[in-house]
Amino acid sequence: MYFRLNPECYFIQGSKRGAIFDLIDSRIYALSPEETELIESSEKNQPVSGHEEFLHELKKLRLGTFYDNRTYMYKVRVINSSMEEELKFQTNLSRTFLEINNSCQRDCWFCGWHGVSRSMGCMGCNKWNEDGRPLEIGRWKGLVDELRDLDCKDIVITGGDLTLAWDKTMEILDYAKGKFSKIHMVLHQDSLSKSHLDDLDGRARPIIQTENLSNAVAKEGFTPLLAVKPEHYGDIWNFIPENKDALLDFAIKDGQLSNDLPIMSNKKIKMPGIYQFSRHMRYHPCIGGTLAISYTGNVLPCPMMRGHSFGNVGDGELYTIFEKGLDEINKFWKLTLDKIDKCRCCEFRYSCTDCRALDESLTGRLEGKKVCSYDPEEGAWA
Amino acid sequence: MLEFKSFAGNNYAWDDEVGLFIPFPPTIKAVLRELSDTNPPLKGEVIEKLSGAFKEEDIAFYYDWIQKWKRTMLQGGALPEDNSDVDLSVSNIKTHLLRHGLKQLTLSVTEDCNFKCKYCIYHGNYEYSNRANSRNYMNFAIAKKAIDYYFSLLEEGRRYNPIRKPNISFYGGEPLLNFDLIKKCVEYMDNAYNTFEKHYNLTTNGSILDDDKADWLIKNGFSIMVSLDGPEDEHDRNRVYRNGKGTFKDVMKNITKLNSRMNRKVTSISIFDCKCDLFKREEFFSRPEIPPLNFLNQVSDVPGCNYYDQFSEDDFLAFAEQIKKAKVHYLEDIHNQRQKGRKTSVLNHLFGLGSLRAVHEISPILPPSPLMPFTGACIPGMKLFVDVKGNYHVCERVNETNPLGNVDEGLDFMKIREFVLDYLRHMDGCSSCKFRRSCSKCYSYFMNGTGFLYSSEVCKGIETPMLDDFSMAFTIGEMDSSYVDNIADVKLLQDE
Repeated sequence: MYFRLNPECYFIQGSKRGAIFDLIDSRIYALSPEETELIESSEKNQPVSGHEEFLHELKKLRLGTFYDNRTYMYKVRVINSSMEEELKFQTNLSRTFLEINNSCQRDCWFCGWHGVSRSMGCMGCNKWNEDGRPLEIGRWKGLVDELRDLDCKDIVITGGDLTLAWDKTMEILDYAKGKFSKIHMVLHQDSLSKSHLDDLDGRARPIIQTENLSNAVAKEGFTPLLAVKPEHYGDIWNFIPENKDALLDFAIKDGQLSNDLPIMSNKKIKMPGIYQFSRHMRYHPCIGGTLAISYTGNVLPCPMMRGHSFGNVGDGELYTIFEKGLDEINKFWKLTLDKIDKCRCCEFRYSCTDCRALDESLTGRLEGKKVCSYDPEEGAWA
Repeated sequence: MLEFKSFAGNNYAWDDEVGLFIPFPPTIKAVLRELSDTNPPLKGEVIEKLSGAFKEEDIAFYYDWIQKWKRTMLQGGALPEDNSDVDLSVSNIKTHLLRHGLKQLTLSVTEDCNFKCKYCIYHGNYEYSNRANSRNYMNFAIAKKAIDYYFSLLEEGRRYNPIRKPNISFYGGEPLLNFDLIKKCVEYMDNAYNTFEKHYNLTTNGSILDDDKADWLIKNGFSIMVSLDGPEDEHDRNRVYRNGKGTFKDVMKNITKLNSRMNRKVTSISIFDCKCDLFKREEFFSRPEIPPLNFLNQVSDVPGCNYYDQFSEDDFLAFAEQIKKAKVHYLEDIHNQRQKGRKTSVLNHLFGLGSLRAVHEISPILPPSPLMPFTGACIPGMKLFVDVKGNYHVCERVNETNPLGNVDEGLDFMKIREFVLDYLRHMDGCSSCKFRRSCSKCYSYFMNGTGFLYSSEVCKGIETPMLDDFSMAFTIGEMDSSYVDNIADVKLLQDE
């Protein structure tokens, strides 16, 4: 007798444990070492006795069943071999951050200006200490067209306090309208007035940087981003009012990380859908397909990775960055967790979140990993 | 739901609506039958009805699983009902081509050939092939215009796709009969377009590929594909000079030398029909001095083909028997065959990777391209085929009744639009076809002398070969699942 997981269920093996990923119902089942051994064997079409209680449990969960003979299970896939081939001939650019401004009159403790390591700094507002000539509005419009031609799906308009350059921001937003699937815009809560909010209607989906969720603007399509100080790690959940969704942006001080932080604990693992799981096998879960263009035209892997640049588009067109530096871009985009020190032997590697900017800043290595309390060698969370 | 069996007798099915292969034991079949009712019964009712014949826990499992796999539709895209959502505007076509197309420029440098191969599509066996072998040669003025236009499109397309690299193929007839033109074209491109990283290809019969030509082709980094059917008797049965004399010895004299110099980068294309001896070819292509096998294709059997009229019922039966034997041999020897890879194994090419390709080329979950909802046809312009007179055609396999522009005026995007729309109008059987996610058929398969045939007519009988491929792939999967799972093996098929 044989037992096989269904076509929609992938078994991923780690050093000590494995996990089953149900890609239709987006569920993960973490296995014990004994269960892992059993599934590893059955997935290789080795016979089972039929009395294994665990396998009957899996059958009850509708994850797999018993067969009389060796059975081949063709696992569900998102793309076929031709599409896989096609990917080689496309840029596959999916998201670009446009830092159209760098001025701000506040001096927030979490700002990029101070070099603070943050878990979601890319989505928050920042100004940067960077030399160079800022790009003119005409060039930003040109970049919008170039991104559309490169089939970039989403853009994020960001940079300092955008309300200080509101006319320019609106002009660029209007120019970009209809050219992308989504347009996000990063704003600080304290800068927003009613007229700003009215202006944004139908133009962009705002991400609102805040330190206080109870005052956060609540409106459909608005996403609050809460900057969390290290001293509040312990009572973080008190900061989030009920029924309020927010992105949490943890500032890391002196490399100190608490194991119960969501970015360290099993909360960092996301329930996988077919598309995400498939994508994470090919691309880094965050910076894969992403670029950031700084206010001086430097093209970066992400807004927080200021130490890496693929070139400058102040004078040249964006496509030339791909012509000249595709290998360098792919070094970041194809940095799947299979290539990250600790993650490569982890069973959750295709469903986990990962901030390369943060881990690089904490370890000094592009492939380093500190922001995780799971030890795949031991199969245990700290 | 299309059912098939592996050689071991296990039942499977392909659900084209959802895009899943599933094991298909009798219990799931019975449950599905119950659920096909317009007012499907509840789980308890199904269990009660079927519990006499099947185990209750199995009925419950399959009932729930069927509901679950239908949920994949929520994650993916449903197949379109018809052509009505296709937005084939000229601007959409042009943007699509600038972003995804222009993958190859094929220059048909001559229609002349020193061979008269019996299966050649230009030798009267194909009613709807409107090109006959002729003494027509392309001149440099036409070639130059085609080259300039191709590079101008690539230049325009850089901002849409900066990764694509120019790929130029020389095709015939026998292209080496116009070797001077090939040389002139390459010299011109290397001078005029020296900032591009170009790749050159040549398809040849190998008979006039002497040392001087070989030196030049090697020096210019050409990929060379030689038509070589198999050992002498296999090759000479179809590949002959105009006087009927076999060509094998002359071809071999040139290409064994070339093969050793190019470190096996020259490859073979082998064509077979129902008189071929697969075992002889298997032995032949495993020899180290023979250029590795790149393509193994059956003599094309598109509508209007009468090549197969020469064979008797006994010939077909004997070939079917040979195929059966070869499959058994292949499966008994599968681990060995996998080691050999497709390049030195005809059987692995034919049964192994051929069937795996059928499985891996299925479009799972995702809906088809919004510009081409049916079949695997491209949007013309993905490749540019230029005939000797300077007309553009879809590719070398599509007959030349509908030129889509010319080197003086460029591609006619309006004509491309009309061509595709006319094609889609003829795909009348597609919306009810059970292989929509796996169809690789395209224009050449449906063309007649004036336009297109209807798919409802042409595709009759499509099920058998598709299900045979699925059956073979799943049989291999039962024996060695990693072989089928490893999509990289299949990718190789498209790399060259």
